[in-house]
Amino acid sequence: MARPAKGAGRLTRLALLTAIALTIFMAEAQLPALTAIPGVKLGLANIVTVYVMFAMGSRDALLVLSGRVLLGAVFSGQPMTLIYSAAGGFLSWCVLCLLGRLLTKKQIWLASPVAAVFHNLGQLLAAAAVMRSWAVMAWLPYLMIAGTAAGLFTGAAAQALLRRLDRLGKS
Amino acid sequence: MKNKVILFLLLGAVAASAAYLLLRRESVPAPVARITRDGALLEEIDLDKVNKPYSFTLEDGRGSNTVQVDQGRIRIAEADCPDQVCVNQGWISNGTVPIICLPHRLMIEIVDGGGGLDGAAG
Repeated sequence: MARPAKGAGRLTRLALLTAIALTIFMAEAQLPALTAIPGVKLGLANIVTVYVMFAMGSRDALLVLSGRVLLGAVFSGQPMTLIYSAAGGFLSWCVLCLLGRLLTKKQIWLASPVAAVFHNLGQLLAAAAVMRSWAVMAWLPYLMIAGTAAGLFTGAAAQALLRRLDRLGKS
Repeated sequence: MKNKVILFLLLGAVAASAAYLLLRRESVPAPVARITRDGALLEEIDLDKVNKPYSFTLEDGRGSNTVQVDQGRIRIAEADCPDQVCVNQGWISNGTVPIICLPHRLMIEIVDGGGGLDGAAG
């Protein structure tokens, strides 16, 4: 990894990455739902989250993530979804921080599905709090499987991205 | 070493989820639909005793949902929420997954009314 960018360089890079994540998020939101199960999606925007976590650190990852989650709720016109994506995003960020200490850059493919599963868990916990019922946890086994699959995909994508940017000396 | 432990835990969780989904008991002997909002009970419908399909609308400050009831099954036919998750889920007839309308905090779950046991005894 190149030395971490500072000041305006870091700000520019974070703004750019947030814009990329938001664009991916909005593009994916236009796709029809894959299944009738709520919460099942690829979560392609998390390629950026995972990339920033491993390339730039946990603080920058949190900034990009919260920027994307806030603006995503505004642009998608569904402010109520903010609770769920914020809860899922924050929980998966905590898990990614922990995994960032345990795993190396070569094991992103493994960190990402774990974070994805916790993202779904965070969403369900938020939904359980809103509904005041644990019945929403009936979705957990479905989301566990779907989240792992989606996380493996986004993790592999983030790993490929990191490797290629490293080769360019821009990471 | 650490990555093997994490991989093992992840695969274990996935395998447990898959096993749970495959092995769970789906049928409910006496299905009763419980409709709740904010955790408070609105309606309880004994689905086996429904002879004619009917529908009704539940409304409050957040919006409205039209519930359709048929013998042994129930669904939300219409809702004025943006995501339509509850409508797309379609009919439910067993206790596996509830219908949840997050924007209106409405939930329909199917529980066992306990009538099955009485029926068997009688």
